[in-house]
Amino acid sequence: MRALPGKASRRPPGPEPVSRAASAEDQRHRILEATAELIAEQGYAETTIEQIVRRARVGYATFYKHYADKQEAFLALMDAAVERTAYEVEEAFDREDGPWPDKVGAGLGALLKIAAEHPGVARACLVEAPTAGPEAAARHEAALKRFAPLLRPGRELNPRADKLPESLEETLAGGVLWVINQRLIAGEAGKLRALLPEALEFLLRPYVGEDAAAREAGGASHQATSA
Amino acid sequence: MADEELGPLPAGRHGFSREQVAHNQRERLIAGLATAVAETGYRAVTITDITKAARVSRRVFYENFEGKDECFLAAFEVVVGHIRELAQEAVADAGEWPTQAVAAARAVLLFFAAEPDLARLCLVESQAAGPAVSTRFHEAVHEVIPYLEQGRGLREGERELPPTTEESTLGALVLMAGRKVAAGEAEQLEQLLPEFAELILAPYLGAEAAGRLAHSQAA
Repeated sequence: MRALPGKASRRPPGPEPVSRAASAEDQRHRILEATAELIAEQGYAETTIEQIVRRARVGYATFYKHYADKQEAFLALMDAAVERTAYEVEEAFDREDGPWPDKVGAGLGALLKIAAEHPGVARACLVEAPTAGPEAAARHEAALKRFAPLLRPGRELNPRADKLPESLEETLAGGVLWVINQRLIAGEAGKLRALLPEALEFLLRPYVGEDAAAREAGGASHQATSA
Repeated sequence: MADEELGPLPAGRHGFSREQVAHNQRERLIAGLATAVAETGYRAVTITDITKAARVSRRVFYENFEGKDECFLAAFEVVVGHIRELAQEAVADAGEWPTQAVAAARAVLLFFAAEPDLARLCLVESQAAGPAVSTRFHEAVHEVIPYLEQGRGLREGERELPPTTEESTLGALVLMAGRKVAAGEAEQLEQLLPEFAELILAPYLGAEAAGRLAHSQAA
């Protein structure tokens, strides 16, 4: 809404006043956003701090005030992305009050949605994490473990539960992340959400068998096309 | 195999005799890279580490490769070629498709268990070796898709499996093996065979039949 002529706003000219805390937060946000974009575009190894500060429109001093080096910025980016993703997935899982397979579908839908909406960050974290040193690889591993508790209740639905391998949940999450990874590498983030039915079938099959998993996937495919 | 082993590249089936390796600087460099990467990791490894391990000069390195990525890629190709042969041999003696698939999985796991440095190179370091190598890594894994898809012929009923079934299975297998290797437990990779077999076979045979076959075949 534009001010009427002659009714000038009383705010003084120049940038809006911001608190110091808000501006530090904004700087960090811009640095991490630039880091994600650059790593997604050209890989972790090729990305330099010079490029990051230029893209983020901050000075070197500002960069070093927040992060010791490129790796620290990348780890902060991963932490934020993993936290945010886990939150969205767990939230969607909890909000769905249907039976467990529906809850898994809701959580998986949230995962695909966030990856599709932030392909740069997803690519930086999933594709490039292994290249960014052992700390990044350890975070990748920790992220995988975050999803396991959501899948584990499926064991109660399986009469052969005692025969299921201990690491099944992480293995299944790894299979789904691999496929997401492949789409991101191919630059096909737009196709991620359409993966919902088949990825859901892959996750559910070991617990409830193919018929029930396929039924559930069929229900999810309506959601995937109507969403 | 162990007594004729030369450096970290298994002698014999990869196509280089001991004499060839000794006389062929390119192959020496590839073996040198595998040794050096096993010691320091790909990111930290230098051309000097590679030439030292290979006992050749830097000049020879640059006559053969533009840089460490190209050398890594060459090493990766040698190992992939070798695994491809092992899997084909295993499949040839194995009868029906389900037992073939288990035999191939066993051959690959046994190879990596016997060659922990190469397991690390292929399954862990390849993912940290830059875009050219990781692209090749994904292609090499996806080479297996058509073999798994043969299992679709054994399915009962009309229903088609989703197209990404095999891709997801392979992603899960690579993850399982890679974690074991990254944890320094490559020698125990064979323990994963029942789990591998069940994951591979379940979409085609159903969970119960796959579980039975996996445990009898993998025993």
